[in-house]
Amino acid sequence: MAPAVVFAYLNTAHAHDAEAGRQEAKEACAGCHGPDGNSQLPTVPSLAGQLPRYLILALYQFRSGHRKSEQMTPSAAELSDEDLGNLAAYYAAQKPAPPARSTDEQKTAAARQLAEADHCTQCHGPDLTGQEHVPRLAGQHFEYLEQQLRGFRAATRGDIDGNMTSAAEPLSDSDIDLLAEYISDLSTP
Amino acid sequence: MALGAKGTLFVGNRLRDEVMAVVDRGDHREVKHIAKGLAAPNGVAFGNGTLYVAERERIIRFDDIENQLDEPPQPSVVLDGLPQQPSHFWKFLTLGPDGWLYFNQGAPFNIGLPNYIQATILRVNPATGILETYAQGVRQSVGSAFHPVTQQLWFTDNGRDWLGDDLPSDELNHAVAKGQHFGYPFCHQGDIVDPEFGIFRSCAEFTPPDVKLGPHVAALGMRFYTGDMFPAEYKNNIINAEHGSWNRTQKSGYNLTRVELGPAGNVLKSEVFMSGVLQGDDFWARLVDVLVMSDGALLVSDDWNGVIYRISYQKA
Repeated sequence: MAPAVVFAYLNTAHAHDAEAGRQEAKEACAGCHGPDGNSQLPTVPSLAGQLPRYLILALYQFRSGHRKSEQMTPSAAELSDEDLGNLAAYYAAQKPAPPARSTDEQKTAAARQLAEADHCTQCHGPDLTGQEHVPRLAGQHFEYLEQQLRGFRAATRGDIDGNMTSAAEPLSDSDIDLLAEYISDLSTP
Repeated sequence: MALGAKGTLFVGNRLRDEVMAVVDRGDHREVKHIAKGLAAPNGVAFGNGTLYVAERERIIRFDDIENQLDEPPQPSVVLDGLPQQPSHFWKFLTLGPDGWLYFNQGAPFNIGLPNYIQATILRVNPATGILETYAQGVRQSVGSAFHPVTQQLWFTDNGRDWLGDDLPSDELNHAVAKGQHFGYPFCHQGDIVDPEFGIFRSCAEFTPPDVKLGPHVAALGMRFYTGDMFPAEYKNNIINAEHGSWNRTQKSGYNLTRVELGPAGNVLKSEVFMSGVLQGDDFWARLVDVLVMSDGALLVSDDWNGVIYRISYQKA
């Protein structure tokens, strides 16, 4: 469920400027998130091919303080509403790199079951490629995913309405590792 | 949304930190920012010149607000110290005919055993600051209104997730007195015992809903249509806004629903009042609340687009 003004911006006929987004990203984001949105740092998420509504939402939450991060809080502080849309348009259009790891068959089957049983697929979609403002997870860095899941479970990770905190609550450490490994290995259709 | 005595429209917000006021100047409308830096100031209610706002853990008041829209006063606190919880913390506020402020304290999760003050409808007396539990077993109610004739509280309730696409339904309930239990987490929609918490219980113990509004439709704000603009048969009907589903394979909801009641407040029928937001499996809005204006038009808020619509009726 989304901040009203942010989606007002997104849903009007206003065309976001992906080129302006590219410029902004080059100056402000590429250092950590990679030149084309594919991050080389395992705890920094890749942004290439992420859903635009989620990108806007995440930047909005960093800027507003709903979500706190030592790196992202100062980065997002100066962003205008226009910047949010432009950056989102740029990153959404980038091509995600293929996943680096590979998981064994048994673990994959177990993880897929867990993703269904814990209802990940209900919001994140059957291939975990996301929908609307629910982020695409497939192919994301293992370490980043693990960090976020632990954060949700500890209720320290900013959560819009408590869904992810609730969802992560029953996960054991090994569940989190299994899910993160499986998700990071999902290739993008 | 809440309407001031001078026609000011007050708008709360679940995710932004501010409350806004919309003033109609005839040929244009002005939006004023009444308060900033609030925590999920979703619930708004107006009475006797005062705007009440329900944040995630407290209720505050702005006295004589309509005369100070450009330089709003600092609010004073009506009630503080409500439970800190990660989920279902946003509140819907209704001022009762008895002068008490009624609001929800949702279950802090999808399904589980809430504490004594959660999954409830609470009420606070703004004059004394005294808090009471009004109803229990209400998972998360984000819409309520008092029947203009019977003076009973009617409210929507959002059903739990992860029992499948078609169960349980969201509910429309009403309370005949303080102290009723509407089922959560033991019984859902009046006739399904929860697979985990309902073992050894029976739904007969609890008050069932008046209407099953449909699974996962996310029934939120509701009002009794008390205006004179719509045809007479709409008088004292309930109009309810649906946010629409997330946890469903095929989306459901996204409508305005109308519930027709008899003179004694008994349900006659329930039907779709407005559809078309959901097109196949795509939607273009998510409806949150409704409000009857003094001319009888119906306002509808939409937090997907950050827009308030106005529905009016004109005889052909």
